[in-house]
Amino acid sequence: MSATTKPTPPPNLNSAEKRRRRLLLAILAGLTLLLLFVTFLFIRYLNKPEPLPELLPVPVEVNYPPHYLLSIYDVDGPVGVATSPEGDRIYVTEMRGERLIKTFDTDGNLLGSFSPPRTTSGERSPVYIATDSRGRVYVTDRLQHAIIVYDRDGSYLDTILSPSLTLSEYVAKHTGSTPAPGSFSYNIFEEDVFYKDAEGNEQTLPRPDYALWAPLGIRFDASDRMLLTDVTEDAHSVRVVPSDIILSPNWLDFDLSAMQFGTSGQGDGQFLFPNSAVDDSQDRVIVTDGNNGRLSVWNGQGEFLFHFGSGSGDGALSLPRGEAIDGRDRLHVVDAVGQNVKVYDFSGPEPGYLFSFGSMGVRNGQFNYPNDIALDDSGRLYVTDRENNRIQVWSY
Amino acid sequence: MKKLLLVSLLVIAMMLFVGGVASANGGPHGDYTATTDACAGCHRAHTATSDNLLMADSTYDLCVSCHGGSATGANTNVDDGVFVSGRGGDEGTSTADGAALLGGGFVNYGGAAASSTHDPTGADNMAWGAGNERGVLAAISENLDCASCHDPHGSPNYRIIKEEINGVAVTVAQSDEGAGKNYGVVSWSAQQSNVCGACHNPYQHATADTTTGTFTHAVDVTYGGSTSFTDGNGDTVSVDLASGYVVCQTCHFPHGTSASMTGYADGAGPAGDSALLRKDNRGVCQACHQK
Repeated sequence: MSATTKPTPPPNLNSAEKRRRRLLLAILAGLTLLLLFVTFLFIRYLNKPEPLPELLPVPVEVNYPPHYLLSIYDVDGPVGVATSPEGDRIYVTEMRGERLIKTFDTDGNLLGSFSPPRTTSGERSPVYIATDSRGRVYVTDRLQHAIIVYDRDGSYLDTILSPSLTLSEYVAKHTGSTPAPGSFSYNIFEEDVFYKDAEGNEQTLPRPDYALWAPLGIRFDASDRMLLTDVTEDAHSVRVVPSDIILSPNWLDFDLSAMQFGTSGQGDGQFLFPNSAVDDSQDRVIVTDGNNGRLSVWNGQGEFLFHFGSGSGDGALSLPRGEAIDGRDRLHVVDAVGQNVKVYDFSGPEPGYLFSFGSMGVRNGQFNYPNDIALDDSGRLYVTDRENNRIQVWSY
Repeated sequence: MKKLLLVSLLVIAMMLFVGGVASANGGPHGDYTATTDACAGCHRAHTATSDNLLMADSTYDLCVSCHGGSATGANTNVDDGVFVSGRGGDEGTSTADGAALLGGGFVNYGGAAASSTHDPTGADNMAWGAGNERGVLAAISENLDCASCHDPHGSPNYRIIKEEINGVAVTVAQSDEGAGKNYGVVSWSAQQSNVCGACHNPYQHATADTTTGTFTHAVDVTYGGSTSFTDGNGDTVSVDLASGYVVCQTCHFPHGTSASMTGYADGAGPAGDSALLRKDNRGVCQACHQK
């Protein structure tokens, strides 16, 4: 009689053990996925150092300085900076060298350069730059005493010669027909205006007779109003140009005289070399009053409200130049001699100083006479770092 | 008596007001009030980055923040040697827009690239004749920058020229230009050579000086002849005297020139360049000597 043994049945796991194992398996899978996601973000960041997606909503009341991301070189004494409406291009003006306007992509790759037609480097001085909602690029030029307008790719379109005259308007009046954009040119150092006739042959006109001016700072607000500073001697002022003039089909009846405010001086409502103007959500116009070392605030009707930012202590300005305001009414002001960017809160009735970033030097995140700033919708900030010959890119 | 008192008070009030908002020397360069806050435009009391409590590693970089090619804080664009007021003509009461600056330009002049300049970047301390020998480079007391010759805080001298350059006392009378300065019209005094002589001393002689074995053109002497010459092609060249005197600036730009040197003049200057001369080749000689 042999004893038979029954095979041992598999251990009968109780349901609690099964749940525990499933839970462990789920946790392990979750951790693996998380590891993969973090690895993906890390590799993506290494390849393209852009702001990471916000996984959790950031409380709007938190204000913290941005951090340095990268620098864009290939520029010689950069002064003005702007981004395209889509945020995919950065336009920079140069003070030295060939004095070109250079275009970069957001990774800092040089896409091209352009300049006013028929000018040499000694005949042009591009300073501040801005783009309208159509992507047209506007550049103020101190030597040409004009605003020169290009398309998105840098092809010349037209010149705003004075507050009441464009070059296309001048050519149209003399030829009786509307000239094609860019089919004409004028260099203030030359005697003739050049244009192409109907057959495509180059013709000349005498130089236009008009009152000179000195456009300097230029910005467009969200509704395509042009905010322009004018440093014509003894008549420093700000002009706010309605969008219907900017966006009209042609500029054959041009007139920038709609709203102009301010005079030259050091008192209330006066400017000494206003370098830029922007507006906030309360329709206040905020002007960097350069040589007075302050911000000058006006209401939407062009009435002076108050000064801000002069004196000493945190937030006090030395030589305010370019400025940009974000969707939360945080005003970013470049202080050229302070060697930093100061940020103010303009969301309430009284502005307040928030923080500054940057210091003097040549290292990453340090400035050597910064001059202008542009913001894009992704939280990036572009600052021209003039004597370090670069554009610094910062990010929130 | 009351009327006299009233007028006196009015005059004093006007003087105080003008002193507060304007400067005889121009802009932020002087005439500071007792409660000025202009200092912070360039200095930091406790957090400066260089000597003289400046926020600047380079004086030139600081100056061209306003006076450079972008002219974001001044009408006097010294890089291009041009006045950019945007105001149009008005010659006679103030500087005409687009007028060439009398000092020339450090980068361009007359729209053309500079062919020789003083180096204002603080990189060099050598000057011709500084060792009291003509035609020889020698060191001066400091590296040359804008503040070597100009006093940013204002000066009783013409165009805020310093009262002491390279350790030498300098007097250049402030000329009366009326209510508005004119950067494009010569209003130098006969003392203008003193500015150059502070470093280039052996070139400043009013008589034929041979102390170092060479001869040099006299300066600080009066000249009554014509200073304009027209050649057979109808081309005219002219120079400006200073109250009737030949001074260094009659022939040379202190900042920089775009004059071209060709033929025998090419490389013939002491520095192998255009030697800061105001005219192409040796046009400055022809203006007076008319050969």
